[in-house]
Amino acid sequence: MKERQNPKARVDCLSREFGDEILVYDRQRNVGHCLNSTAAAAWKLCDGKRSALELANILTQQLSAPVDESVVQMALEELAKARLLVESEAPVRRTSRREAIRTLGIAGAIALPLVTSLVAPTPARAASCLPKMSPCVSNTQCCSGNCNTNAGKCK
Amino acid sequence: MQKLDRLGWAEGIGVSAFGVHTGIRVSTAGVLPRFLPLLPPGWKKSRRLTVQRLYSLVVPENGQRAGLRRMNILYADSERIARDTDLDQVLAALETDLHRYTAEAAPSMTFLHAGVVGWQGRAILLPGRSLSGKTTLVREMLRLGATYYSDEFAVVDNFGKVHPFSRPLGIREDSTFAQTKYSAETFGAASGVKPLPLGAVVFCKYKSGARWRPASLSLGQGALELMGSSIAVRTEPQHTLRRIQKLVKGAVFLKGARGEARESAASILDISSTGIRREME
Repeated sequence: MKERQNPKARVDCLSREFGDEILVYDRQRNVGHCLNSTAAAAWKLCDGKRSALELANILTQQLSAPVDESVVQMALEELAKARLLVESEAPVRRTSRREAIRTLGIAGAIALPLVTSLVAPTPARAASCLPKMSPCVSNTQCCSGNCNTNAGKCK
Repeated sequence: MQKLDRLGWAEGIGVSAFGVHTGIRVSTAGVLPRFLPLLPPGWKKSRRLTVQRLYSLVVPENGQRAGLRRMNILYADSERIARDTDLDQVLAALETDLHRYTAEAAPSMTFLHAGVVGWQGRAILLPGRSLSGKTTLVREMLRLGATYYSDEFAVVDNFGKVHPFSRPLGIREDSTFAQTKYSAETFGAASGVKPLPLGAVVFCKYKSGARWRPASLSLGQGALELMGSSIAVRTEPQHTLRRIQKLVKGAVFLKGARGEARESAASILDISSTGIRREME
């Protein structure tokens, strides 16, 4: 049986701190992620050497609030879903938000870990462009990047 | 490209804007004055012998054979990017491509797709996709006394300050996609010149009948949304993130659906004033 690996954060992503949140940009997939304070704190500790239980103990000290292992599992699940961890042989154990809330209590002292993702736009999608069926003479004018020049309309 | 080079070129110009050098040449004399107003704001003549992108515009001369469709053809380097009998349409395609290329290739600035106004010494950014109502909102803010910076791009420098990209406002006045150009002065507003620190970012989209009740976003969430408006984030992610990090310090982030522009514009300016005052204290 394969040994369960400890979580390890990917080091090939760009990251910047915004207060207690972190913005991570995945250059391989062109996706940006915003890690809220709890997810960010967990991600920074994922060095491949610490187990989920150890992470929970460190986070409890760092955040000055009790952090249960199920909350760490939830953070790891969010991070794995966003592909911000080095892929391990063993899948991350799934913890439902309901289970985590029950553990935390209704008014938990920390935020539930959350990763929000957004695909980086291409220059054509990011700038002003024309929607489908609008008149065009050039591919550069259409959001789709495709102008049917015979019909004179964006595809 | 060599084939294109062999064509006769009647006139041309080297253009430098935001550190990007481009060239435009035309096959027929007299067309140059028509595209000068379409060049990026703040452009200067460039004397460089090499340019990063060369536009070649083939315009049919009057004496060409009768019965043939008189096509205007635009090339960017060797790629044909527009072809139409209507020169204005082709010039519009040139404007779109040139502005977008400048936004993508600018070496020391990050371009965000957003309307921008100046208000109490701070910039208010209105990021949004095409047809989300950015220009309409900018116009209403100008009527309420804001300074015009842009209806297309927020240009962010290395210090996180917002520079103007004050091309004329392109307003769609009917159900077609054609835009009419208006200067900021038409709405009683001045155009900003000085780079401004950021005051507020408002992510909103027009929705008929909606009441403007925005939710505030965290710094990280706001920065992520701004990244989604960046033209060159795929090619320059490191610089983009660094400039966004400098840009957003102390800014207010709001998000929501808006109804009529006039009502929302007043509310946005009001909320921004409160945020700016708090930041200054």
